[in-house]
Amino acid sequence: MPQTGSIIKFFLVAVFSLLMSSCFKDVDFGQAQEISLEPDLQVDLLYFQLDETDFLDSESSQYTPIIRDTVRLEFLDDDYIQDGLMYAALRFRHENRFPYDINSRIRFLGENGGRQFQVNYLIPQGSSAASSVIDTTRILEGNEINKLRRSIKMVVELEVVDGAGDLQGELDFQSKGLFKFEF
Amino acid sequence: MRKIFLLVLLISFFKGLSQNRPLLYNVDDLPQALLQNPGARIDFTRHIGVPFFSQIHLFAGSSGVTAYDVFADNDGDVNDRVRNIMRDITSGDFFSVNEQLEVLSLGWKMSDRLYFSTGIYQELDIFAYFPKDPAVLAFEGNASYIGQDFRFSDVNFAGEVLTVYHAGLNYKVDNQLTVGGRFKLYSGIFNAESTSNEGVFRTVETPGGPNFYRHEVSGLNVRVNTSGYASLKEEEGMTVDKAVAELLSRSFFGQNVGLGVDLGFNYRVTEQFSVNAAIQDLGLMFHQKDVENYNYFGSFQTDGLEPLFPELDENEATIPYWDVFEEKLDQNLQDETTNNTYTTWRPLKFNASFQFGTGKSILPCDYLISKKPRFMNLFGMIFSGVNRPKGPTYGVTAYYDRKVTDNFRFRVAYGADEYTLTKFGLMMSTRLKNFNFYLAANDIIGYTNLAKANTASLQLGLQFIFKDL
Repeated sequence: MPQTGSIIKFFLVAVFSLLMSSCFKDVDFGQAQEISLEPDLQVDLLYFQLDETDFLDSESSQYTPIIRDTVRLEFLDDDYIQDGLMYAALRFRHENRFPYDINSRIRFLGENGGRQFQVNYLIPQGSSAASSVIDTTRILEGNEINKLRRSIKMVVELEVVDGAGDLQGELDFQSKGLFKFEF
Repeated sequence: MRKIFLLVLLISFFKGLSQNRPLLYNVDDLPQALLQNPGARIDFTRHIGVPFFSQIHLFAGSSGVTAYDVFADNDGDVNDRVRNIMRDITSGDFFSVNEQLEVLSLGWKMSDRLYFSTGIYQELDIFAYFPKDPAVLAFEGNASYIGQDFRFSDVNFAGEVLTVYHAGLNYKVDNQLTVGGRFKLYSGIFNAESTSNEGVFRTVETPGGPNFYRHEVSGLNVRVNTSGYASLKEEEGMTVDKAVAELLSRSFFGQNVGLGVDLGFNYRVTEQFSVNAAIQDLGLMFHQKDVENYNYFGSFQTDGLEPLFPELDENEATIPYWDVFEEKLDQNLQDETTNNTYTTWRPLKFNASFQFGTGKSILPCDYLISKKPRFMNLFGMIFSGVNRPKGPTYGVTAYYDRKVTDNFRFRVAYGADEYTLTKFGLMMSTRLKNFNFYLAANDIIGYTNLAKANTASLQLGLQFIFKDL
């Protein structure tokens, strides 16, 4: 049976060779630590469409030149914002069909009401035939991104400049954020 | 999310072929041929496997990516490579892992025409399509995909661990035809599957609309069925080690059962030329115990939050817009955990081949010997496939099988399938007296550097095979 013995030796050598030769080459699994998720998300924020009734008291019909509202943006407190947000481009767009200039003040506040940052601008007067459009983008990156991370409320305030109780028109507002993350 | 991605990559780097084992198919002096085709022609009269070692089968494969594609040790950036892969890979690409461990295997010739075989094996099978759209959303976000759908149907996977008790008969009808069947009782240890998901997430621009975009989840209907998982999850202080120990303790008598059959035949068209075909695991698993289903369903769309500028006193709280938004979200996109029984098909395997033999063996000159000489050189081609959730996966293998002596044979094979078009395989089987040892490895080239291989598979076993003349 010497032939059988040789065959088995050959067989065992083949098995050993197969097992020993099977390996991972030309790869560096340490790069796994460098893999990062970097999603860029486009997310709507607030929107509204106002007309003259929004500047009048619902009971007394008295003209109110300044109106404001506060919206909590609870997602700003989530872990993925706190840990992964690297860049934010906040875009605000007003379309004014009131025949008056309007001051827009957009403030981002922390939990205790402390102001983190604000975006203020004047919306020029428009008309029903030709609306006036203001499109503003505020970019936060680097250390500034912490201002957004500390924010939880968005306050929108509008002040009609030199307006009167007989004002007529509309004001549209759109806003969104481009949020860039790195996990 | 990164951990999930790394897990998917890890699974994909355990390389291999599929559940079909073309290197063992039609090997007439290995009992494992009967597991693939119960109607195969066989050349032994009794067999008994070394418990737990008569067949160890390992397979894993990835149809779209290799370890080298991601972790190549060169100057490129790993994240650039991941992005390129994400671009190239499709939701039809898949990762698969299959393992079988034969616990018990034995059989004997009951008459001149009838061979009985039985045994127990444990099997793990994982098959997952690449969840392209959810992965792209997680890696790149929606910013570059405004107006495009992210489909939840891309989430499609099935995984199970079970023990199979089987008994089969191989019947030689005449000199030309051999038929066989095998009855299987499945004992389910663990199952998780999610294969019929629906719905899309999209962000669309809305010119003239209330805001820049509208975010929509439309027709969400995602269901993940599990059995054997709820009890693991609910047990306090469960660790991975404890979970594995618990699963092993269920190895012999799992909580869920199923039934299945294998059927096959071999037909010698001429003395030298034969054809055969078989199906394996035509069967169902009935998941009735320790079942938990996770359901996610509904539709929702939003343009953002709309402040109403209410007339408030200084001390009045503003409207809780966010809470209202979350309430609407929860009403419209719901999740529900149920305990409904479910049934799954076992992945059906099918093989068909033809074989041509040359070089007759020489038998001892003894009038008591009833055996007919066999051919020492065999050339054949096997067509194989496995039924999967999105349709069958196919492969074709051509082989040359050489019986060097009555105790040693080898097979070299070249195959192509959906993993790779260059799959070289080698099988060797040797017998020392009645003790048999076999080893089969497919995608041999891949073994030289597993990092660049799409698949690799390995089968080996120890058993006693008797060839009474």
